[in-house]
Amino acid sequence: MFRSPQAIDRGQVLAALRDVEDPELHRSIVDLDMVRDVRVRDGRVEVSAVLTIGACPLRETIVERIRSRLQALPGVREVEVSLGVMTPEERQALIGKLRGGPAAGGRRSPFLTPDSPTQVIAVASGKGGVGKSTVTVNLAAALRLAGFTVGVIDADVYGFSIPRMLGVTGRPTVIDQVIVPLERDGIRVISIGFMLPHADDAVIWRGPMLHKALQTFIQEVHWGDDLAYLLIDLPPGTGDVAISIAQILPRSHMLIVTTPQPAAVEVAQRAAKMAAKVNMEVLGVIENMAGFVPAPGAPPVEIFGSGGGQRLADLLEVPLLAQIPLDPAIREAGDRGTPLVLAAPDGPAAQAFRQVAARLAERLPARVA
Amino acid sequence: MPARMATPVEVGSITAPECTIVWSDGHRSTYRWGALRANCPCAVCVQRGGHPPRPLPDPLPALRPMQVERVGAYALRFVWPDGHRTGIYPFPLLREVLCECEACRARAAGRGGGAGPVLD
Repeated sequence: MFRSPQAIDRGQVLAALRDVEDPELHRSIVDLDMVRDVRVRDGRVEVSAVLTIGACPLRETIVERIRSRLQALPGVREVEVSLGVMTPEERQALIGKLRGGPAAGGRRSPFLTPDSPTQVIAVASGKGGVGKSTVTVNLAAALRLAGFTVGVIDADVYGFSIPRMLGVTGRPTVIDQVIVPLERDGIRVISIGFMLPHADDAVIWRGPMLHKALQTFIQEVHWGDDLAYLLIDLPPGTGDVAISIAQILPRSHMLIVTTPQPAAVEVAQRAAKMAAKVNMEVLGVIENMAGFVPAPGAPPVEIFGSGGGQRLADLLEVPLLAQIPLDPAIREAGDRGTPLVLAAPDGPAAQAFRQVAARLAERLPARVA
Repeated sequence: MPARMATPVEVGSITAPECTIVWSDGHRSTYRWGALRANCPCAVCVQRGGHPPRPLPDPLPALRPMQVERVGAYALRFVWPDGHRTGIYPFPLLREVLCECEACRARAAGRGGGAGPVLD
């Protein structure tokens, strides 16, 4: 049969489809056996793909990704994509692949082994109201801007606020017992807020339920093997959640957020004492709500005093990683659901977060996406 | 930065006659299984007999754990044949207080103590 130099064959199509990733699972659709059939005839390509579940919220994204990847190939005139749904057996095989296959012993999370390439950082504080969640989302955004894949666990189960601050709503897709985290600008995130019937519902649980929720967040969520940093937004203090995190994770680090007033130092120190008891390394201190600049060029007003962050860092013998200025733009960005680092990446507060991210990447190197 | 605690680099088999742990600082600890069980640090055992180290029963119970698990980055958990599994043994307790190696026992005896805190 005559073939023009531009003719395309099935092998080339499959090779190209290998570049197409499932938008939720972050793995090639070919590797996940989601491509069931490919037919090529006179430049017309027909792809039959299967979705994990029929109600896949990103079905159109998958179709669009397949189409645009194949249309970029020379010799392709037309692309037709048809979608089906995996059988229970196919879905089980996919779950096995996500968990690392039989050789991985069915492990579900990339950071449950001490030699995991994922760097886990728990963001802690002694008392509440110091802006820990704000620091977590902005740090996640800054690490993402630097090119890393980032996940965020909202472990502040009673006082969850990450969904609002990251502007993420909806329910995670569940493929059998594996939960796929929601995503915002490449930041993968899981929160108890995604599981509640109503966003304003309260979580009224005792310790064992909290422990189970955290185990689920860590062990049942498909974070992906490519995750460079996992940030955990802890509740304030040294209670059940902090202990559970320390017991579940074989290797993690801690960042301590405090405010500048000296009275906060003693309270923040308790978080560090807990870190020492559970063998978590404290990476440094972030002082939040430092000087407020009322007008450009005006001297900063130290509403919450000064020196607390440095004093805490000195006591703990760790670096003071940043003094984040008290800037209403940080609060406004959080209320709008876009971290300031993404909304205005070049402002002074965003720069401070980006510098912390750079120092963390230096101190705890991870692979760039 | 404060010094980190010693961590196990090798934990011996539960089928061995005694428990052995090689630590990141090079120390090699040995323990009688029964002494570990008698020194369980869980809340119930502490309420019953006080904090470890406790006076050991004579004779020691002859048992071995069914399983040893690592807890986070700071402790080991032993699952005993009677189903007791709530004791989380922090590494400093194992390394500095409960170690029964010859050197640690000699030092403890020199201080007139039993299996009291011993530091290299």
